[in-house]
Amino acid sequence: MKLLLADLRALVNLPATAIGRRATFGLLVGLLLLGALSWWFASTVADNPRLLLLLEQRGQGASLRGLLGYGLMACPMVSTWLGLAMAQRQLFETPELWLWRTAPLPGWRGPLQVLLRAAFLSAVWAGALAGPFVVALLRRSPAGPTAYALLPVAIVACTLPLLATLLSAQIAMARFLSGRALRMVFAALAGAASVGFTLWLLLQLFTTRQHRVQELVDAAAPTRALPPTIEAAAQLLERAASGTAGLADLLPVLGWIGGATALFFAAALLHPRAHERHLEADRPLWRGRGRRWPASLPAAIRKKEFAQVLQQPGALIGFVVFAVLVFGLAQQQVLVTGILANFRVPRELRVVVAMLTQWFLAVLFVLYTHMGRLSLWDGAQWSLYMAAPPRPRAILRGKLQAIAVFLLWPLLLVILAGVKLLDADLLAVSRFVGVAIGGTLAALGVIAVVGTWPRLMRPDRDGQILQGGKTFLAAMVMVTLFEVTLAPAAIAWWWLGDHPHSFTSAELAQLWPHIVGLAIGYGALVGLAGLWLGGRNYRRLLQPN
Amino acid sequence: MSDAPAIMIETRGLGRHYGGKWALQGLDLAIARGELYGFLGQNGAGKTTTLRLLAGLLQPSAGQLRVAGRSHADDSAAIKQRLGFVPDTPPLYDYLTGRQYVALVASLWRVDRRARDERCDRLFELLALGDAADELCKGYSHGTRKKVHLAAVLVTAPEVLLLDEPTTGLDPLSTRRLKELLKDEVARGTTVMFSTHVLETAEQICHRVGVLARGRLVAEGTVAALRAAHGGQSLEDVFVQLSDTSGASAQDPA
Repeated sequence: MKLLLADLRALVNLPATAIGRRATFGLLVGLLLLGALSWWFASTVADNPRLLLLLEQRGQGASLRGLLGYGLMACPMVSTWLGLAMAQRQLFETPELWLWRTAPLPGWRGPLQVLLRAAFLSAVWAGALAGPFVVALLRRSPAGPTAYALLPVAIVACTLPLLATLLSAQIAMARFLSGRALRMVFAALAGAASVGFTLWLLLQLFTTRQHRVQELVDAAAPTRALPPTIEAAAQLLERAASGTAGLADLLPVLGWIGGATALFFAAALLHPRAHERHLEADRPLWRGRGRRWPASLPAAIRKKEFAQVLQQPGALIGFVVFAVLVFGLAQQQVLVTGILANFRVPRELRVVVAMLTQWFLAVLFVLYTHMGRLSLWDGAQWSLYMAAPPRPRAILRGKLQAIAVFLLWPLLLVILAGVKLLDADLLAVSRFVGVAIGGTLAALGVIAVVGTWPRLMRPDRDGQILQGGKTFLAAMVMVTLFEVTLAPAAIAWWWLGDHPHSFTSAELAQLWPHIVGLAIGYGALVGLAGLWLGGRNYRRLLQPN
Repeated sequence: MSDAPAIMIETRGLGRHYGGKWALQGLDLAIARGELYGFLGQNGAGKTTTLRLLAGLLQPSAGQLRVAGRSHADDSAAIKQRLGFVPDTPPLYDYLTGRQYVALVASLWRVDRRARDERCDRLFELLALGDAADELCKGYSHGTRKKVHLAAVLVTAPEVLLLDEPTTGLDPLSTRRLKELLKDEVARGTTVMFSTHVLETAEQICHRVGVLARGRLVAEGTVAALRAAHGGQSLEDVFVQLSDTSGASAQDPA
């Protein structure tokens, strides 16, 4: 209770600081947007004539259960994401653990607090994602106030058991299988959960209305099996909507919550030793012993950037997880369906343009992270750069060289996705690579300019640039600038779509070397301009305020 | 405190290894009630490991330990109730004020409100924390964080106080106040054990010091006795000599 009150008090104190206010505002806006989207989705499909006809044919009750279950499916997605990505760090790395463990408290109290924190966040997120959808469905049924009152219980029943199980499993694994390999597994799971959740949200956004109606029609089928916790919660809400809910409907829901909590208590007893073993396993992945560091400054900075990735399992695994995201988006043909379906232009051009679009999307995802390598993520190292003999251009060059290598990863992934999913041949791949290299050079130019812009990136006296309004603005500026620099390619594609008979396939084949040359020349120009401006910016950035 | 044993910290053959490498070996200690014991050693000598073992944050790989007459294996909660630990990195809640944090710690140790408020006011004044008391911990300097956590721990009136490098990050005035505070606590019967690199502090306030080198206790006694045993050298010279000797002997199997 005391720890719970302390957390609540901390929550109340959050808006007292500028950073806290920004974080709270950002979270609330995000949740409101997700809630509005959920409401809009439900409103656009729930009145669909095909769905209404089906509901009439099958009988309201049976179908409503399936539809409610469909709406509540957001809950396990949130639990998996938070249980693996956030709660895991809290379980083993939150600074408050040292207080909880030295206090005269039972061993399970600390992990219980982590579960409560995660359950609260899960309920808030799941409430924003699933709540409006379920309410929109209930409004179309003769539901009374009991159904609405039971919605929070249903959301907790759909989030808490999975969350408690995931945390219990992680505690048990850390206790009995602790080691460097397990830390890597944890980092991989955390990364996969974050990307998986993002991918799921993106797919929700890109799902067409027809497809969503079809999903709802499938969900409303009486034979459709739901996960047990969702089944129990949907059953409870459906009975409450029809005014027939009783204790027998509430018991399975309470049973799941109680059972999962009991499991968690058993696992929480292992936590003190699990925490100890987790700390013991904290050793770098790669030490680089016996390797000499280069003498030149750009090469040393470049190597430092690589080492920071290689020595952090989380960062390294982030690259793997990013690959899964790129393949997931390519498989769903996000943004490229229209391009591939434009049969008026030759297929070889469609494939290359589709790959370039996928590359563009992939690079958009990593631009901010790589921009951060210029100053945002430097932290304590920033004072070292400020105190070092003034060679800002050399430092910037070293960092941009490292980023250039990192930017080859999306390029490689899109090649693989293109070959596997779009049947791209060697010629298409080589044309894509040529144009994408030009794009990569342009991306480096954009990163160099925005990532060093003193108005947006000035670190404070401790060398920290706090994420907030300015960095959000920087991200927006960078994305816009990147889109503007690549606009000529989009304009060329639209023009070709309007004039499909301007070139035959043979003429186009002859033009490709010129297109590639133009792209690389243009990219080099943007890149050099960015390097020049970035160098100026970086020199100003490294000067004391 | 009347039922407290005469020896408040006792270890026998205490050892701890990390992944097969011993950080601490064969430690025998006996620290009496009301004693101020300084733990000296180079970086990585095993000081923090010892303190964490005593605080119940680590389990021993070998040997036994007793704090206030009990072992963690038998009754860890009872030991923790009587023990205060100030780690090098204080575990503050960033979004609580200093006063709220102290109130949280006091409630975890079941200190009644009146005693808490009295002690809190006195300690905040002693440690010159008046201005910081109602600010969020997030904005504190390292030194202020340490002082706030120390105040929170002292509000619980521990019988055994363990401090890991308490003077690191403190200004000279705060260091002096801390030393006086520790002497006051000891005068009240509290057993204090702290690790430090500041030999001058150890020399000024400790009843006894122990010197750790490569995970082993290589010398122990009053500062005067240690200096006498080494030909009247300064404590710094004694420390350097002990550390060098143990290093050489560890490297040379002969």
